Amino acid sequence: MNNESINLQIGGGATCYSVPIGPVHPALKEPIRFQFDLDGERIVGVDIKPGFAHRGIEYMGMRRNLIQVLYLAERICGICSISHPLALTQAVENAAGIEVPPRAQYIRTIIGELERIHSHLLWAGVGAHELGFDTLLHLTWKIREKSMDLLEQLTGNRVDYAIPIFSGVRRDIPDEKAHLAYEALDYYRGLLDKMIDAYLHDKSVEMRTRNVGVLSHDDAVALCAVGPTARASGVKKDVRQDMPYLAYADMEIKAITPEDFGTEPVGDVYDNIIVRLLEVAQSIEIIEYCLENMPKGELMSIPKIPALLAVLKKAEGEGIGRHEAPRGEVFHYIRLEEGIEEPVVWKVKAPTYNNLMAWVPKFMGDEVADIPIIAASIDPCICCMDRVHLVDRDGEPSVKLKEELVRLSREKTRRICG
Amino acid sequence: MRPEEILSSFREAFGERILSARTIERKVGTAEPRSVYDVWIEVEREMLHDAVAHLCRHFNPHLSVISGDDLGERVALNYHFATGWGNRFGEVTFTIRTFVPKGDFHIPTITDLLPGAQTSEREKIEFFGLTVDGIPDDRNLFLPEGMTIYPWRKDLQEETSKEVRRTVKWETRDE
Repeated sequence: MNNESINLQIGGGATCYSVPIGPVHPALKEPIRFQFDLDGERIVGVDIKPGFAHRGIEYMGMRRNLIQVLYLAERICGICSISHPLALTQAVENAAGIEVPPRAQYIRTIIGELERIHSHLLWAGVGAHELGFDTLLHLTWKIREKSMDLLEQLTGNRVDYAIPIFSGVRRDIPDEKAHLAYEALDYYRGLLDKMIDAYLHDKSVEMRTRNVGVLSHDDAVALCAVGPTARASGVKKDVRQDMPYLAYADMEIKAITPEDFGTEPVGDVYDNIIVRLLEVAQSIEIIEYCLENMPKGELMSIPKIPALLAVLKKAEGEGIGRHEAPRGEVFHYIRLEEGIEEPVVWKVKAPTYNNLMAWVPKFMGDEVADIPIIAASIDPCICCMDRVHLVDRDGEPSVKLKEELVRLSREKTRRICG
Repeated sequence: MRPEEILSSFREAFGERILSARTIERKVGTAEPRSVYDVWIEVEREMLHDAVAHLCRHFNPHLSVISGDDLGERVALNYHFATGWGNRFGEVTFTIRTFVPKGDFHIPTITDLLPGAQTSEREKIEFFGLTVDGIPDDRNLFLPEGMTIYPWRKDLQEETSKEVRRTVKWETRDE
């Protein structure tokens, strides 16, 4: 941070500092810029600037055939690497009227829930790290490895599992592999109470997270927050419950709120921990149900890729696909025109898109030292940086693309080397 | 929430002003399939704000996102809402579509009704070059300030491709 970027205003006895944090900062895992207005230690205003990781994926998708779009969708996010394909395949299947065999629906659900387990544990570890509790970070991430191992054993990959395809799934979970899943579920079931004890009954965790980063129920609804961020505020919104799809339609799913832990929802960081840990328990039950009740049958209703492409090329219509990802609702809208291989419109909405504005009330009134844990509390997912924002001496914001920065850097090297 | 409930409420309030309405029924579940519903209505731009106000007054909506579709002379904007959440099988997706002519390229904001719409409205401004009347903050959100290309406009594809090619060439050059 340079001196020019600190704007000191003195008036009415109050001292207000404007402090930028990010786009790259040790407290943030991904590039995003927060411009905080501070009155002493207290946050009185915040401006949020995302976009440093914008890669124009929708633009690229509208120039590729749907099978290629599926690969692209899988790479929108490394953590939600099945959530986007699940939403996309449903959107396309709804638009083109393609049926998905029951067994494929169950396999998609199992992988989706395994992703939730590893994502929530990843988040819990990050949260512990932000609080300075690194022992807990290492313990949590060690536990998380079991779900990553299982994903690799079932799909061949730790991330980007390449399981869903339009009309079904690409790989089966054969009976001889199901025991691996049962083993992992037993492992998690045995550790869950310990995790809850380590996070929710720890005095320092409670002191750092209770009444910190509060999002009220009404704010969560008005700001269209989704996922655990909304549920921690007592908003019982979960696509798996509200508008079931895949195997979720066969089982009773309930949106988890802090009430399930026996406490009134406050909407603070502590409640976010409650919801995510209880959702790990919920995912274990869902996977177990799917394994026990998995229907027999085919994996794809259109197994040949050329035939599938032909069906997709003939399809005309629009469709919505929604999936409750670990961070909340993923939404894909697609419009297909007959004779055109590419989607005419592809709109992707990730959960952090909705939760962006929920950050503002969460930050307000809290202290600078709470910034990392509040920023982490919505489990943001932003991805890799592609450009830099600078603030000029006269305070005018300007944008420097990477090429311009590299040019300036080389110029300086030449200058100092004479 | 039943789709008829929401549609009849809109028909009662707006009558002929609704250009078209349709309900899509989808079957979900493998053992005993049940129905879920997507409702789509089309309204004129002048009615958009009233329609969203009606939705907010009676149906406690969640806005998933606003998607845009360049149709040539005009851009279709789809406001993807969901209503009836909180109960199993209780939700219906409700999409309000409106058309904005490129010659008169502006829409009213709905952030006064649903503050959470701001992210999506700002995205439409920067990706389509649209004006949103009354939005509290119209700065670029995902694209850098001062960017002059509108990637989702099909009539401006040449400029966009030129900029994309230039960036890709620069990113992938050998040194």
